[in-house]
Formats: sequence, structure tokens, C-alpha cells
Amino acid sequence: MRHLIFSLSVAALTSVAAHADWTPDIEAWNSPMPEQPAAVVVRNATIWTGTDAGVLENADLLVRNGRIGAIGQNLTVPRGAIEIDGDGHHITPGIIDAHSHAAIIGGVNEASRISTADVRIRDVIDSESINIYRQLAGGVTAINLLHGSANAIGGQMSVIKMRWGASPAELVFADAPEGIKFALGENPKQSNWQAAEPRYPQTRHGVEQIIRERFQQAADYRRAHEEHPSGRAGRDRVPPRPNHELAAIAEVIHGERDVHSHAYRADEMLALMRLAEQFEFTIKTFQHVLEGFKIAPQMAAHGVGGSTFIDWWMFKYEAIDATGYNPALMHEAGVLTGLHSDNPELARRMNLDAAKAVRYGGVDPHDALKMITAWPAAQLGIDHRTGSLAEGLDADFVIWNGHPLSTRSLVEQTWVDGRRFFDREADQRMRERLEQERSELIALALASDDNSNGNGNADGSDSPERRRVVHSFAAHLTGYRPSELDHDEFCIFHDH
Amino acid sequence: MTNSAFSMITKTFTASLLGLALLAPTAWAEVTALVGATVHPVSSDPIENGIVLIRNGRIEAVGSDISIPEGSRRVALDGLHLYPGFVHAATQLGLTEISSVAGTVDTTEMGSINAAIRVEVAVNHDSELLPTTIAGGVLSAHIVPGGGLIRGTSAVIGLDGWSWEEMVISAPTAMHIAFPAGAVDNNDNEDLKLIEEVLDQARHWHQARAAAADGNAHMPARNDQLEALGPLLAGEQALILHANRYDVMEKALDWAEGQGFENIILYANPDVQYIAERLARDDIPVILRNVYSLPSRRWEPYDMAFVAPKRLHEAGVRFAIADTGGGMDVSNARNLPFQAGSAIAHGLPADAAMKSVTLWPAQILGVGDELGSIEAGKRASLFAATGDPLEPMTHIQQVWIDGEQYDLHRDRTLRLYERYRQRNANVQGR
Repeated sequence: MRHLIFSLSVAALTSVAAHADWTPDIEAWNSPMPEQPAAVVVRNATIWTGTDAGVLENADLLVRNGRIGAIGQNLTVPRGAIEIDGDGHHITPGIIDAHSHAAIIGGVNEASRISTADVRIRDVIDSESINIYRQLAGGVTAINLLHGSANAIGGQMSVIKMRWGASPAELVFADAPEGIKFALGENPKQSNWQAAEPRYPQTRHGVEQIIRERFQQAADYRRAHEEHPSGRAGRDRVPPRPNHELAAIAEVIHGERDVHSHAYRADEMLALMRLAEQFEFTIKTFQHVLEGFKIAPQMAAHGVGGSTFIDWWMFKYEAIDATGYNPALMHEAGVLTGLHSDNPELARRMNLDAAKAVRYGGVDPHDALKMITAWPAAQLGIDHRTGSLAEGLDADFVIWNGHPLSTRSLVEQTWVDGRRFFDREADQRMRERLEQERSELIALALASDDNSNGNGNADGSDSPERRRVVHSFAAHLTGYRPSELDHDEFCIFHDH
Repeated sequence: MTNSAFSMITKTFTASLLGLALLAPTAWAEVTALVGATVHPVSSDPIENGIVLIRNGRIEAVGSDISIPEGSRRVALDGLHLYPGFVHAATQLGLTEISSVAGTVDTTEMGSINAAIRVEVAVNHDSELLPTTIAGGVLSAHIVPGGGLIRGTSAVIGLDGWSWEEMVISAPTAMHIAFPAGAVDNNDNEDLKLIEEVLDQARHWHQARAAAADGNAHMPARNDQLEALGPLLAGEQALILHANRYDVMEKALDWAEGQGFENIILYANPDVQYIAERLARDDIPVILRNVYSLPSRRWEPYDMAFVAPKRLHEAGVRFAIADTGGGMDVSNARNLPFQAGSAIAHGLPADAAMKSVTLWPAQILGVGDELGSIEAGKRASLFAATGDPLEPMTHIQQVWIDGEQYDLHRDRTLRLYERYRQRNANVQGR
């Protein structure tokens, strides 16, 4: 049955793909891009600005043509503006997830060479990943799609906005700075599995060495290109051979491409900062950064941000000293601190991870909220557009039915670019339609496919002969596209 | 003591039999009075400015108008809220430390038939994970074996103690069978046949042994696996069925009822909501495996898993909320209460949410007289918090386990915090 539905959707794709205004409507929850109203105002809400303006009570938020027009009390609004009663509700900036693999087609890891700086997430964005819709339902409005952590120098990342219904190219956050994934520690040195052919390096000092070597080669590469004469003078000389990998790394050491480096331990992070300093650039963020609290003053001095899990720990040896107090300590030391998901399930409730920053170390609730909004936006270099609520910024915001850091609160609406991409009421209506459609498809499937057994692609973990290694979040799931359950298989060690 | 403890661990026992007073320091003879807090017994309405008296590790009295014996140690808890410790309904805490380091992992025995596995003997009482879990208010847990089809017996333990023997509250708690998903549409499923074959062998073996005891036959050869199935087959032990798809669950229940098992607990993922009416009708309790799940199917609503507790509750099913119990959820068992909190957002009444991680798991697991509420006679395992403990922003400030105040500085994550906070302050000249 699953196969039938899949082939129906493929048929739909191929037959109508030529239409420029095509929107997927056969798969669950797909819907066309919502309209962008000229003016929207939410009245009398509690507004968490994510800025120094703080948390405003009984305030209005005015959106004009996709941007925030004004925030204040008793705002005068244009005629015809859509009015939303925000009484008893809280508005926050949209959540920014600085570490995600939730919408990548065809493998999160290019697990081959130690440096794969030439590969690009931009080429493999899955705009139909159901994770986009599900995370909108948790208030997420932008995510950073990263490669996995198999290689010391990973690939080129892509920041996207959660424009559900748009094409892959339209998802890309056009203003986001270019970036690249690095990885240190157990994963690039292949500690947790038996590689058929071991790859250099197998130690942390080897990881540091290979990165330095690539930096040197990239510097030479850039110089060779710069020294190649332009115009007539260069015509008679053989130009340096193009190398996409070294070209990307050259951008890194010239400060044109931000490094977001997976790292756990203090030693390896310190080493990468010192290496960057030798090449006169700044590491943009450490990802996971579980021991960031041990070198927080050094991180602050270097200027690197820390993007961390709030409470994941002990899943591998290099996570033995992880502590929920890490965000509080990094923040206190002046490190630009954020929380990320690295997991499509967790991404739907990042507000509760922010709440834990209040529990562990007493971070101010508004600052805790900034750890999932304004500060990850700054880490990704998109804070001039999103991550907080201020006049002129993109209208990326969430309406909650209660305190945004409470387990008891729900997202009512999520807006991106002044478009309402998630609306709980509309979601409820969609369920009824989809239930009907599903019944029809099942009837079709039963009529045409007697091999239907209802078994899922990731199921059967209780059955010894069918036991497979699956991430705990992906166990027992059915009907998903592989990309939706993809994850950094080298990052989180399996529990089965 | 050693002899009596040894004999007791071979069958279910309770701490009242343990003779704790013999072991206990003299301080235990005294009474501790927790005063000034809002007491949330869970089994009844909150008591403002309540008093909890603790003697010999147990709760002696709870109320607002009870007299405090002279010489009691008074602990003032003004402004705080007292709750019973959370009871984790299914986890592998104590069996694993660092999941990527094989030498620290004892979660999953090989082979298909592991009926004679007794999980409690592998609980590392000094696991670094336990103090951090306790700091989150989870003070006792049902430890579940993970390997094979017939997986062996589980145990309910308190999370603090000087050995697993001291920590055991109930063992064996239940026999665990992972129902093979492949049996749903295949009556010749080899895994199911194997399970049935072993159960039949066990029935015959126990018949033969009974006959031998009556002098009517020779004693059959000892067989640890078959012997271990005796209490289950005699109806003296609960069967916990593991299943993670609604059709597998239904088939598993059909099968178990066909086998004549009457004391069944279903350990199941959020798909269990789809068979809620049957569970209510047959009064089969559920250990709900992980509210924080993606929807089982791509086409399902985003909140499919979040609403599972509400659906079970509305149908009248007895249930406890648990996490996956494995992998990352072992080191983060402390997050159990937040799953219950999120269930409130998705329609579960708040008092039911609290019970689903305290009183109900205790009752379902047969330790309702020991754990799960602040009531006279129960173990004094409770904590004082700044507010609702189903909320992550709440701070848990003091913990008592079996009446003894727990040193929260045993939590490695807190120790690292304090050590490096001081260090960073020194560096910055603060």
C-alpha cells in the first residue's frame, strides 16, 4: 500500500511538474504557500521581543508585507488589516535551529574523504520533508541544514526558511552567509565502528594536523589563482587547476565562509581556535560544544559561538562531562550561546529545551528564549533579518496559547515572511480532509495490491532476524521518506 | 541479614520484610518532620502548609493538623512544594552507562529465550546516571531487560543504595515477552512458534516437577529457563508484552489471552491509543513508551504521539507514561516528568498527568503500597520543588529517598557546574 501511495505521488510529480504554479496536494499535510496579507495585526498579546526591549505586556504586533511594521500599544493599523486577538497569548520570534538534518535528500554524510568541502547541501534540499511542517507546528521558522560529522572538513551547509509548499530553491535563506561543517573528535577519527579500511586520522591530534594541512594547501591554492595574471598576460600561461574543495577551504581561511564545527571536548576546540588564529580568522560556532563550559573564557576571547544540546550526555565517551549547566556557564562567560536540536523529533519542542536553561543555572527566561531565537540567528549571521521582533525584520513569529517555556503551552500559529504557514485550527480541518482521502487511497490500494502487509520500513526491531540498527527516534515509523528519518549516523550512537 | 536477604531476593519481597532497622543508623529511629511546604500527596488534594512525618524511612503521617513528636528533626520548607518521587515505568537505568562503550552496556542479552534473566543483578548502584536522574525527581524505576523474545524478569528499584540488593523494591516484577511483529499476518511465524514451544515445554516441565514432588514421577532435569517461567504460568506473575504497532498489539493480546494469561501489562508506543477501547474493556494497563515520538506514520497528525495519553485516559485505560527506556533516554530519564507535562498541553487533565508518572506506574507494577504518593505507610521517597515539577523551569531543591536526605551534589553535572563556575569567575576576575 505504501508503495502504491508512493507511486501515485511520483506519478503526480511527473505529470504536472511542468506547471510553474504546481503545489503538491496528494501527500499528507501538503498545502500551497499561504498568501502574504498586506497587513496583519495581533492585538493585546505578551510579546517576547528577543531584543533589549524585553517582554512587552498587552502589546500589538503589526506586520506589513512580510515585515514587522511596528510593535507597541494601541497601534494604528492600515484599513483592511487582518486582526488577530492575542489576548492571553504570547508571541515570540520564530525558533531558529542551528543544527538540523531534517530535510536533506540522499545521505547526510559524504562519508568518504577526510575533507569533503566541495559537497553542498544546497543541491539536496528536500522541500517536501514532512519535518518542515511538523517543526512549524513547534514554532520553528528557520533551520541550518548541515552535513554529518564523518569528516573533519564536512560540506557546505544551507540555511533554509520553513516555507512549506515552496520549492527547494525558494526555501534557501538568500541572505544567509555561506558556511561549512567541520567535525572533531570521535566521529572523524572513526572511534565507534570498524572501518573496512581505516582512514587517516585516527587520533585527535591527527584531526588537527589534517585540517592545518588543508588550510595550508588552500592558502597556496588561493595565492596561485590570485597570482595568475589576468587578461592578455595570463593567456599564454597554464592556469592553476580548479579544485572545488580547496576553493571552499580558501573561503574559510579568508573569512568568506563560516565554520560551524561539531566538537565535544575542550582540547580539540581549543586547538581549532588556535589554528584559526594562526590563519587569522574566527571560528563561527562550535556545534554540540559539550565541554564549552571548560574553556568558556577562551571561547569568548576568540569570539566563537556555542551551539549546544541542553541535556544530552553520556551517550559516548566524549560526552561524559556534558552538563545541562553548559549554556548557563557559556552565556555567563560572554559566549554567544544557542540551543539546537540535531533531531527532527526534538526540533518540535525546542521551547522546552530553552526552559531547561532556566532550570540548569538560572538563566533569565527571556535570555533562555534568545538561545533558540535571536542568538542562533546571530550565530548563523541572519540576525539582521530574523530571530527577534523589531521593526523592519522579517515577520517570522509564533503565537503561543500560554507561556512559551511551559510544557502546558501549544503553538497556535507560526508565521514566516508574514505568511501563516501553521495554524492549529486549519490543521484540524485538514485532518478531516486527509482522513477521507486516505480512506479512498486505501480502497484503491486494496483493490490493486494484494501484497499489502502494512509493515513499515523501520519496523521489526523486536524480531531478531529483522533487527536493524535504527536511531531510537526512527524506530517503528511507517511511510516516511528516507530523507525524513535521515540523521547524522556518526553523531548519536545507536541504542539497539 | 545476609542469609535472609539472600532468600528474599529469590522471590518478590517488600521492604517491610527487609528489616531495615537492623541495618540503619540510629538516626533512623528518629522522626523527621517536613513542615511549611504545600504537600501534594497526588492521591488526594494538595495540603497548604502541610506536615509530613517520616520514621524509619517511611511516611508516618501527612496532614496540616498533626502533632510533631518531641525531638523530631524539623525541616522548614516554606514556599516549596512536596511531591512523591517520580516512578519510571520502564527503563534500562543501571544497566548501561555510555552506550557507545560496549563494556559499560548490559541492556540486551543475546539469544531468543532469556526467561531466567534477572535484571536486578546487573544494576550498577554507583552508575553516574543515577544521581542525575534523582536530581530530576525520578526516585525509583522499573528496570526492564532488553534481549530476545522471552526477555526475563524486571525489577522495581529505588535509585539510591549501597548495592542492588538494598535498592530492590520488587523482584521479579514481571516476565517480559517481545511479541514478534512478523506474527501479525503469519500464523507460522517462527519466533512466535518458538515462544509457544518454550511455554509448552515449561508447562510440561512444571507438571512433571509437581508430579515428582507428589512421588508420582522422577524429578525432571533442572532447566533454568523453564523453571523461571513457573510463576508466570501459575498466574502468580504479571506478563509484560512489548509491542509497537497497533496490529501487533492486538495480535499480542489475542495471543496472550489465548495462552490463558490474565495478568497482562502492555508496554507499547503511542499506537496503543488506537486500541484504547479494547484495553479499557479488558482492563489491561499500559506502559506508554514515549510521548516524545514522531507520529508512527507520515500521514498522521503532528501531535499523534502527544495526544496518546489523553486518548487512553478518555477511554478509561489505566496507564503510565514512560520514555523509550533505552539509548539517550537512559541518561535523560530525568526528563520523564516533562512528557507528562506535554500531555497536559495536549488534553490530559493535570492530575492525571501527575499520576501517570507517580501513582499509576506504582500501582500497575504492583508496588502501589510502597511508592507513588505521599501517604502514611509508604516509602518516604519525595522531593521539594519550587513549583510544578512537570515544568522544566521548576527547580528541585531537596530530595529524600527512604527517609534519608539525598546529597544532590552527587550529581556529576552539578559538580562540574560549580567547579567551572568558580574557575571562570576567577579567570574573569569576578
